[in-house]
Amino acid sequence: SGAAWARGLLSWAQPERWLASGSLLPLSCIHTSTSLQKSMKWEKKNRIVYPPQLPGEPRRPAEIYHCRREIKYSKDKMWYLAKLIKGLSIDQALAQLEFSDKKGAKVIREVLLEAQEMAVRKHNVEFKSNLHIAESQTGRGRYVKRVRCHGKGMFGMMKISRCHYFVKLVEGPPPPPEPPRTGFDQAKEYVQQLRNRTLVHTL
Amino acid sequence: MAVLVRSPLPRLRALLQRCWGRLERSLWPGVFGGQNPPWGPALAVQGLALVPQGINDAGESSAEAPSLLESIVWMAAPKQRRTIEVNRCRRRHPTKLIEIKRNIDVCPECGNLKQKHVLCGYCYAKVKEETRLIRMEIHRKEGGPFNVPAVETVVLYEGEKPTEKDEGKRIIERARKRPSWFVQN
Repeated sequence: SGAAWARGLLSWAQPERWLASGSLLPLSCIHTSTSLQKSMKWEKKNRIVYPPQLPGEPRRPAEIYHCRREIKYSKDKMWYLAKLIKGLSIDQALAQLEFSDKKGAKVIREVLLEAQEMAVRKHNVEFKSNLHIAESQTGRGRYVKRVRCHGKGMFGMMKISRCHYFVKLVEGPPPPPEPPRTGFDQAKEYVQQLRNRTLVHTL
Repeated sequence: MAVLVRSPLPRLRALLQRCWGRLERSLWPGVFGGQNPPWGPALAVQGLALVPQGINDAGESSAEAPSLLESIVWMAAPKQRRTIEVNRCRRRHPTKLIEIKRNIDVCPECGNLKQKHVLCGYCYAKVKEETRLIRMEIHRKEGGPFNVPAVETVVLYEGEKPTEKDEGKRIIERARKRPSWFVQN
């Protein structure tokens, strides 16, 4: 009841549309929610409104945040699929997931299609193929402990795991992959580190 | 929610007194004042000399079944907890990650995606549905099990007549236009 009271008190201090100017930081020293309450931060990210851009600025690409909660799958197994589609364009990601044999692939495909539709309808995205996956993460859902019966009357406790899946689509072609770090690059960095050495507290 | 708190002092004091009394009796058994006489043996009986034989029995029993105990002792078990860094190195190794497939193409017939060495799923589903309807027609025509005629079957669609080649064959009629993928002989 104390947490609810604090939440009620601070609700006026957290307006629905807060400007992303960077100077307004939420109070991080007070806990306004407990661990049992569901955190809906990813959904709130869709609601931020940027100030209008100046005429000279380059166009800010559209960002779409979408997630699905309490998927009946393991977060570690889902992570492999999330890692697969990180940094791909949305068409490539849908193709890879269509022919993957994993259970989570079907779920992630649905999430991506939903997000694509949301982007076109609500977030002013012109071409539905002009999206790429900037972030894709998994999170732990609520676990439930159950009895697993073994032979001879023995039993163990198993946990039925669920996971969340989060995805952020950004308008534009996917960024080019980083070139792998060669030995020459490492040597250059080493030499640069040696050159940066100076004497401190001297003339 | 208001809780009625009566003065707990007399009850608490009695409890503490009882506890202290027990403590005194346990720590200083003779000092209490004679009301509780100190413990002492009421009856002395010579006990049987079981102790040296008991040691021998224990030694024999341990020597008799060493194989079971030793085999349990030498089982493999982890010595140290694997840290999360070590676990991550193993779980995120490139061999464990899913490889991206490079054998995905576009089906020229319907435009859906298909793997190069596999039939297009959409086209296959279309053919499967049509085959199911043809089989239903056959089933209706036969009327029961074990009525398969010993002749070939020909499927004719709307507006098609049986040719001379289809003289003795069984004809199945389907009330729709011939699909483009079902070529007529």
